[in-house]
Amino acid sequence: MEVVPEALNGPDTGLFLLINGFVGTVPILDRLAKWVVSDYLMPIVLALMLIFMWFIERDREVRVQHQLGVFVSLTSMALSSATVFILNFYYFRPRPFVDNEVSMLFYEPTDSSFPSNAAAASLGLAFGIWGVNRKLGYLAIVAACLYGLARVYAGVHYPLDIIAGAVIAVPVTYLVFKLRDLLMPILKLAIRIARVFRLA
Amino acid sequence: MFTFATDYSIGVFVSTLGILQLAFSVGDVRGLLLFKSRIVARTLGIVLAAGGFVLFFSTGTRNINDYEGGLDAPTQALFFFLGASAAVVVTLVVSSIVNHRMRGPEAEPESGIDSLRDTNYALSLARSLRYWWKLCLRR
Repeated sequence: MEVVPEALNGPDTGLFLLINGFVGTVPILDRLAKWVVSDYLMPIVLALMLIFMWFIERDREVRVQHQLGVFVSLTSMALSSATVFILNFYYFRPRPFVDNEVSMLFYEPTDSSFPSNAAAASLGLAFGIWGVNRKLGYLAIVAACLYGLARVYAGVHYPLDIIAGAVIAVPVTYLVFKLRDLLMPILKLAIRIARVFRLA
Repeated sequence: MFTFATDYSIGVFVSTLGILQLAFSVGDVRGLLLFKSRIVARTLGIVLAAGGFVLFFSTGTRNINDYEGGLDAPTQALFFFLGASAAVVVTLVVSSIVNHRMRGPEAEPESGIDSLRDTNYALSLARSLRYWWKLCLRR
């Protein structure tokens, strides 16, 4: 099954080669990109944002919304990732380094390039944060976008893979927000229990 | 010396300690602060939060595939949970010792972390558990 049409493949590869072509020109940028593209930096940053969001609000009603937002963000991240996982059963796009001369700043993953799981999961989480706290949400979205850009720069993904990840994360997060009322009794119970232990 | 997962957990532990101090100073949860001064708490928070990352990334090669010694997503989530939980427990214990003189009035049962604005964690938890235990016995 062809998901990325030939007409888009050309410009996508062109843009990828343009971005990846900068590798080696500014050594400090490469070093920074190696950190940002890592499987650990941005996921930890986003997870720490959730912990931060859980505790920062002084007003109890708003705090409860933030805490519900933490559950929504995690669900949205998991469902975005699951969507990518299912899509990968039907479509496999080789990584950019398979068909192109690429400067790699990362190890060579073996799974499908399209859509980007890293982008879908991180943006799913970031949009979840944005849904309850705009300021923190914008920061999270910027972090997730940087993560996506770094993965193109480092030779791991085509730009279209990242865009597809975002396209998956937006409706999934929207859906999770719309459906959260179904899980509200369980979520509120979890928060009440945490309150007994003075943790919410 | 340590395994990749241990390095990861230690990094998460240090960063979470920092983020918690930052969050408690912003949220005015004084009972969980390790330092009375909010400026000190925030500075410590930022230093620790960044320090965890520096510690992790500067002590070895981190861009490794999961089948070559890195962590796959579920394992990463597990070790994040372990590191972050340890940071929460350490914060609760140490702040209870440091703030043992913070003995505010009895707060309402459902006040949650609001009760920690003027009471240390150990006392607040004891009061809460006592209330809920009595309520259970009455029923």
